[in-house]
Amino acid sequence: MLAQLGSALVLAAMGCAMAGTICALAAGRTRSAEAWRWARRGAYGFAACILAATWVMEVALVRHDFGVRYVAQVGSLSTPLHITIVSLWSSLEGSILFWGAILGVYVAVATYANGERDPDVMTWATATWLATATFFCLLLAGPAHPFLPVPSPVPPDGPGPNPLLQNHPLMIIHPPMLYLGYVGMAIPFGHAVGALVAGRLGAAQLQPMRRALLVPWGFLTAGIVLGGWWAYEVLGWGGYWAWDPVENASLLPWLTATTALHAAMLPQRRGAMKAWTLTLVLASYLLTVLGTFMTRSGVFNSVHSFSQSDIGPTILVFLALCTVMSLLLLAARVDRLEGEGDPPAPVSRESAFLLNNLLFVALTFTVLLGTVFPLVVEAVRGTKLSVGEPYFNKMAVPMGVAILFLMGIGPALPWGRPSGARVWETLRAPLAAGGGAALVGAGLGVTAAWPLVTLVAAGIAGWVTLRELRGTISGGRRLLRRTGAYVVHAGVIVMIVAIAISHAYRTDRELELTRGACVAFGGHELCYVGARDVAEPNRTRRVADVKVDGRDALEPALVVYPRMGSPIGSPAVLSTPSHDFYVSLMNLSPDGATAGFHLFRNPLVPWLWVGAGIAALGTVLAAWPVRGAARADGEAA
Amino acid sequence: MNLRVLLLGLALAVPLFVVLALGFGHDPRAIDSPLVGKPAPAFALTPLEGGPAVSVASLRGTPVVLNFWATWCVPCQQEHGELQAAARRWRDRARFVGVVYQDRPEAIRAWLTRMGVIGTTLVDVGSQVALAYGVTGVPETFIIGPDGVIAHKFTGPVTAADLDARLSALPGGAL
Repeated sequence: MLAQLGSALVLAAMGCAMAGTICALAAGRTRSAEAWRWARRGAYGFAACILAATWVMEVALVRHDFGVRYVAQVGSLSTPLHITIVSLWSSLEGSILFWGAILGVYVAVATYANGERDPDVMTWATATWLATATFFCLLLAGPAHPFLPVPSPVPPDGPGPNPLLQNHPLMIIHPPMLYLGYVGMAIPFGHAVGALVAGRLGAAQLQPMRRALLVPWGFLTAGIVLGGWWAYEVLGWGGYWAWDPVENASLLPWLTATTALHAAMLPQRRGAMKAWTLTLVLASYLLTVLGTFMTRSGVFNSVHSFSQSDIGPTILVFLALCTVMSLLLLAARVDRLEGEGDPPAPVSRESAFLLNNLLFVALTFTVLLGTVFPLVVEAVRGTKLSVGEPYFNKMAVPMGVAILFLMGIGPALPWGRPSGARVWETLRAPLAAGGGAALVGAGLGVTAAWPLVTLVAAGIAGWVTLRELRGTISGGRRLLRRTGAYVVHAGVIVMIVAIAISHAYRTDRELELTRGACVAFGGHELCYVGARDVAEPNRTRRVADVKVDGRDALEPALVVYPRMGSPIGSPAVLSTPSHDFYVSLMNLSPDGATAGFHLFRNPLVPWLWVGAGIAALGTVLAAWPVRGAARADGEAA
Repeated sequence: MNLRVLLLGLALAVPLFVVLALGFGHDPRAIDSPLVGKPAPAFALTPLEGGPAVSVASLRGTPVVLNFWATWCVPCQQEHGELQAAARRWRDRARFVGVVYQDRPEAIRAWLTRMGVIGTTLVDVGSQVALAYGVTGVPETFIIGPDGVIAHKFTGPVTAADLDARLSALPGGAL
């Protein structure tokens, strides 16, 4: 019953999206107000139907209706209610449905927020959104149908969702954040398509596009950081980023979207680089589709991938269509868009922006190449290969540090053609701060070259950011967007320093302890107190009680889920302002007499999450709707 | 139409698509089981219906289809009919042995009553046999030759045609 209702709602959503697309296209060609009204109704209709379908799936999950195939795949009578609710996105078909629901919300909000203004641009944007919606409905009605009935007989119970999903609360919010980031990129993509078709990118088009880009960018950032945090808290290898293909897949659109947010300053200030800005917005969306393909096609090997499925070819065809359409539009309009701006002075804020853009794009290509290279090798030579951390770190670290330098130098430089004296005056204090930061670091024991260079860059960027913040904060609400942007910068600086130091100065040790024994490591003393089993409805936790420095009790554990082969580690972390003391339980003898631990001392890692929090706050400030702020915000980056 | 922009874009995009499309059909996780070509790891388990323990040694002399499954596994339910068909066809010339993984005897009995029994069903208490065979999920199916050597491993649901092909390829195994 629920299966039929869900299927019908998916079909209704597809009907609305399709009809809406046709009306929007007609409205774009004929300027018919009536057609556009119907296109917008189609957008709301799609949103309502797809949200209702998602609701039906939730009802089926919560009622354990194993007659629905998706519920039979991921449901289980022993799973706690909150996990049952989030198992909507624990497997392929459900996650595509959830994806559709998020797209529904985005499309409805964007349709409402843009109202009836700017019809010669927005009709095309609406058509783009609804065409995307039609595609996702097609996936849901065909290769990723979540409402297929189970061939009878209906099973009495199911296996429950992937245990990794059940093991940590971060897993409940990390995927939705990423989806909000991925799916939301369709909205600025629509704006960019609209601007290209109309051949116009003035302030009236740039402002809404930039806002539409900032929202998914913020979610994507949060999703990536939360994913790293989850890996750190759950996987027990003491790290937060592994350059896994799917992690890279989320990083690629983030890099281009970050570039686009910065590039969008230039047309705003100078009327230049319009086509470039639009290219970056288009690329960000195309890369989210590529990311979707990478996670769901079964072509890439990753801990994050969903199982092999038939939707890969469909997504690849969609990606190819979107790419070709984007290229044709760009080629047709690039000459009409560009103004005749002078080339910028070599030492100016414009140049810094250009260089920043080039570095970000180079970094994007580097990551893309490293991710796709194993496929190239397999296609050419038939051998399997993986591109590991050494490649990525070797390539990404210098570019990342260079970007950090520009984050300091760029905002410090004046626009236009500044004199040498003026440049020296504005850079003197930041350069001194950079030197000071390196000296302080060296005093605290940082001696390696890259971390020291990072500290110099961070000192410069930190000084400039605080100097700019003092100015924008005194500007009050009027400068809220710029304040937000600089707060994001401050958070990113903290994060980059934490990454550089934690990476260079991490220490670890594997050891075995008998009950009652103690060991000294990383300035702490760890004693193994004993083991106990904690039985929970859906799992058993084998906890090794340890005491750190005689006072802090930690509970690293091995978690055993029925119907899952090997136990999952559940590390315990003691955070201090200077470092994390990270205890991962590797093995435990059946009687608990001995326990194997992997201990890590990870310097500055807590600051990674603090920095991310600061950046999130900045994003909220930058996206906060403020009347009259539009004209003041041209300079923040 | 600015052809330079178009051609540059296509030059970047087309190779990427070709590589991605070539990736289809390769399972990135398909690493041939190291057990193929090696003697089947020993085990001795009591059948669900009772009786003497079934061991690798006791199965020697006939080809064996060793199928790891569970009642909570939807793909296992899908492949059950295929296994049944193959078991009928190979009735006298191959033994079909199911090893049930992480499950309860009552649930297994109820399931078999509903779906139909195939060959011998063994219960893998403590997943020891699954560990020995490197099972990563259910269903997985091993073809063991009459000499006790593992000839092939299927990951995921099998079809009757797959089983026919692999069993026929064994020495003296024509249908």
